[in-house]
Amino acid sequence: MMSNLIPDKPPFKLFDILYKKEFILLIVLFVILLINSNISPYFLDLYNLIDSTFLFSEKAIIALSMTFIIIARQIDLSVASIMALSSCVLGYTTSLGYDTSTIIFLTLITGVLCGLFNGLIITKFAIPSIIVTIGTMSLFRGLAYSFLEDSYYNKFPEIVISMGSDYLFGYIPYAFLTFIILSIVFAFILHKTFIGKKIYSIGNNPDAAKYTGIAVDKYTIVLFAVNGLFSALASIFLSGRLSSVRPNIAFGWELEIITMVVLGGVYIYGGSGTILGVFISIFILGMLSFGLGLLNVPGVGIIIFTGLLLILSIGFPSFVKNFRRKNE
Amino acid sequence: MKLELKKISKNFHGVNALQDVNFQLKPNSIHALLGENGAGKSTLVKILCGVYQPDGGSIFLNGNQVSIADPAKSLALGISAIHQESVMFDELTVTENIFIGNHITKSNGLIDWKAMRVKTQKILDDLEANISPDEKIKDLSIAQRHIVQISRSLIHDADIVIMDEPTASLSQKEINELYEIIRNLKKQNKSIIFISHKLDEVMEVCDEYTVLRDGTLINADLISNTNKDQLITHMAGREINQIFPKNIVTIEDEIFSVKNLYKKTQFKNINFNLRKKEILGFYGLVGSGRSEVMKSIFGITKFDQGEIIFKNNSLKIKEPSDAIKNGIVYLSEERQNLGMTGLMSVKDNINMAIMEKNSDLFVINNQKETKNAAEMQEKLNIKVSYWSQLTQSLSGGNQQKTVIAKWLSTKPEVLILDEPTKGIDVRSKSAVHEFMGELVENGMSIIMVSSELTEILGMCDRVVVMYKGLIKEILDVKNTSSEQIVKIASGD
Amino acid sequence: MKKLLTNRDVILFLIILIGVIAVGIANPFFVKPSSLSDVLTDTSILIILALSQMIVILIRAIDLSVASNLALSGMLISLLSTLHPELPVIYFIILSCIIGTFLGLLNGVSIAILKVPFIVTTLGTLSIYRGLIYFVSDGKQVYSHEFSDDFLSLIHHKFLSLSFLFWMAVIVFIIIYVLLNHTKFGRNLYTLGGNPEAAKYIGINENKYIILAYSISGFFAGLCGYLWVARYSVASTQIAIGFELTVISACVVGGISVMGGVGTVVGCVLGAMLIGLIRNALPAVDISQFWQLAISGAIILIAIIINTKTEQRKEKTIMVE
Repeated sequence: MMSNLIPDKPPFKLFDILYKKEFILLIVLFVILLINSNISPYFLDLYNLIDSTFLFSEKAIIALSMTFIIIARQIDLSVASIMALSSCVLGYTTSLGYDTSTIIFLTLITGVLCGLFNGLIITKFAIPSIIVTIGTMSLFRGLAYSFLEDSYYNKFPEIVISMGSDYLFGYIPYAFLTFIILSIVFAFILHKTFIGKKIYSIGNNPDAAKYTGIAVDKYTIVLFAVNGLFSALASIFLSGRLSSVRPNIAFGWELEIITMVVLGGVYIYGGSGTILGVFISIFILGMLSFGLGLLNVPGVGIIIFTGLLLILSIGFPSFVKNFRRKNE
Repeated sequence: MKLELKKISKNFHGVNALQDVNFQLKPNSIHALLGENGAGKSTLVKILCGVYQPDGGSIFLNGNQVSIADPAKSLALGISAIHQESVMFDELTVTENIFIGNHITKSNGLIDWKAMRVKTQKILDDLEANISPDEKIKDLSIAQRHIVQISRSLIHDADIVIMDEPTASLSQKEINELYEIIRNLKKQNKSIIFISHKLDEVMEVCDEYTVLRDGTLINADLISNTNKDQLITHMAGREINQIFPKNIVTIEDEIFSVKNLYKKTQFKNINFNLRKKEILGFYGLVGSGRSEVMKSIFGITKFDQGEIIFKNNSLKIKEPSDAIKNGIVYLSEERQNLGMTGLMSVKDNINMAIMEKNSDLFVINNQKETKNAAEMQEKLNIKVSYWSQLTQSLSGGNQQKTVIAKWLSTKPEVLILDEPTKGIDVRSKSAVHEFMGELVENGMSIIMVSSELTEILGMCDRVVVMYKGLIKEILDVKNTSSEQIVKIASGD
Repeated sequence: MKKLLTNRDVILFLIILIGVIAVGIANPFFVKPSSLSDVLTDTSILIILALSQMIVILIRAIDLSVASNLALSGMLISLLSTLHPELPVIYFIILSCIIGTFLGLLNGVSIAILKVPFIVTTLGTLSIYRGLIYFVSDGKQVYSHEFSDDFLSLIHHKFLSLSFLFWMAVIVFIIIYVLLNHTKFGRNLYTLGGNPEAAKYIGINENKYIILAYSISGFFAGLCGYLWVARYSVASTQIAIGFELTVISACVVGGISVMGGVGTVVGCVLGAMLIGLIRNALPAVDISQFWQLAISGAIILIAIIINTKTEQRKEKTIMVE
């Protein structure tokens, strides 16, 4: 019928791959793996590697839904606080003796409601998400404190403990497995469905998206609700793993989660980024922590390292670009 | 000679924006700078404003060679510009906007607000403007903003004032006031570089002209030695009728109507209908409420009362997707900001409004997308090398075609165009008009909001004239005149 | 001359007044002059930080690293003072300001020169600076007995029965008021924030202003580093954790728009005072400390929502009914 010969993309050059963010991230990951394995004989031990995933799986799950949020030109600083509040609901409903499915349902619903709260305030009052979530960050964790005050919950349903600390077939931690499965699901939605395309459109030009008939507000509200849902899910895994929940649980996690996303090449102002990039960056950060831990570098050192990595990962390429431009 | 440019050249990525252009500005002269979009006018202006540096050639001011290194230097040399998109600061006062970047300071280094305010009042009085120095810019009308920009030029003791489309959004009364101000500036020994697409205006106000085409100088002479048709020929390189003669089309029955539409403080008693294959014009001054009505119909904003009827069905339009579903689409005036998504590919942009249609379940079907994009590209002759090309990398005309392609992909029946040819050169205007004619021939119905009488008279079958949120009259274009339309639109 | 107080400032002031009265009714002890003076003292550091954060928010940015900056500067001079207790306190104050300015400068350079977006930069430095506190202190605290008397005593001086801290806040208020309203630099901040594209045409160098704004923010963070440590007589890795959010909330409540170019100095102070009032009022009316976080968060959200509703540009009237 139509013999239209316009090609989809310019001719494929192997050289172009070298410039792709995901490729660079892969190289960084391999370098870290290399260094780590030279540092410590314990590193390449399969069981150690598997166990290392516990430390980042919960954050990783939230990083996936956070990716959507950031691509849509929003940000959610309240995720850690949602985790805290959801964990409290988890502990509280357990102490009340409800049956397991009700407990889990109520916990997840807490997350969804928190997310809906965020989304509604952002869209109905047109307030930037950074400001709203700075407020709800206090509100949600504050509610957790008013729940628990000084004490803690340490009784959870069996299944929750199992989810947080057990392995499928004795090898694969459930939390990690959930992360892997969710990565595939999120990648599929973002890159293959019109839902993902719409998210990119919203992030690139929200006004034009609105005029094109995309329900920007509805999508925003849903994205925040989903972020809340996965924060609650992550809190279930975390509570199961720690077997103890205090109101300060997951303190500071929002920064680490955002770091995972931004390091993965997702532009902080929205409109671009891939799940693959975030996936690799999660492993970079995870292996980095693991390696530094093996070197007995205190947790603090890891935090400093992560902060530096975040800034340099964006600063260095842009500096090189400017340098080249000046010399042209 | 007050200002002389000799053999100015400017090159961007291998494209010659300007090539060996000579330009001479006499003292006490209002000099029209003419040319189609892309002819090089704005590049020339940016060089004079110090935003770009010429690659070749020299600039002489009052006989002395100068180099305009940056905007501050340009101001210091006495060159001042008034842009279409005004360089204004909404949240700051008139006084501050006039003295922006150029505050008067006391001996201790602190700002002398009193002195600035006094000077501002004086200039506003001189211009006989009814504006207070303490008003915030966001509370001023467009005409008042122009006056503030002109005041800024005067404060800087500008010798040369560049005006880029100064009457674009003004009412006739405001336009006449502006002409007075311009003539006064001339009396004060200033020279004005006047950029406008309205050739009637140019013939009336200007003393001399320079025409650029494709980056080169075509002709420069006194206005008294030329006429409109000659100017068009210079600009386009061939003779063109300004308005494409509309094909005769048999208009069919009513397909769309709006009843008693009302929105608080915006519009009231909006009643009109649209017949199939008709082009219905909406004329009125800027701020008369036309776009507000269209945005409500399309679902961008809500109206308080009223009914929208399409093909005998009352429509519930709460958001744009409702309108689009029913075959009603809206092309906004702001093509760049609201029409296209520059950082996404051409293929994505063309398919943006029909993503669900192109999907099987939720998954996007790439073949369907490519097929649609290819159809549109051929129909509209969009110049693109790869589908993955970013829309912002296309030329202005092709960007607009991409936006139109997006809407045509939804197979609409009613097309609402808001100022479709605003700021567009003569040649492209014709192309758009020709295309509109084709669309109605093929069964589409068009509502066109326009502020250009010639366009209304040439393209529309009927025209709705609005004034301050009300429909004053609906006229048959065959039975009316531009004078009558203007009179009604001004509230008489 | 601009109106001295905008409508919004008046409303804020009234809310604070009503709040004080309401709390006073529930707890008359609260409105004793000495109690109120304590509230002012307690809020002084917040006022200083809010005023300096305002400078950054005016140019459409945020500085999330102020609390970490404050804590690191405070810790560094505390450690140094234990090594050199003989040095007069003024040396340490100046040093703290210098350290803070340097930390702020790093932010500015990262944003302006390396083009790392401000969110990413200040999120990064928030972690890095906080982490460095552990490094330099080995995780240990500096206790009050380790400070010299000279170091700690300055804070407790009173002039006209109002504390040193309060007067510091007053001085900073005056400085920033003059800076933002009567200097070219200050007005250019509004210009740059209000319309960055246009500001470039005027010749305002965006990079220069970013670096200066973050340096100023860092300067005052450094100053508050001393003030905080001296006031609470302790330097630790935990001081001021999360305080950056309180500071930003104070600004937003005070009417400083994150869209840039909008906000008054008086409003900023009032915003800080309102937040300070809330923090002090809750314990005064016997609300358990565990509810404070939630209530603060709720009130801040409400204040932001009210702000936005009043700020929202009304549609231009086209039709007269």
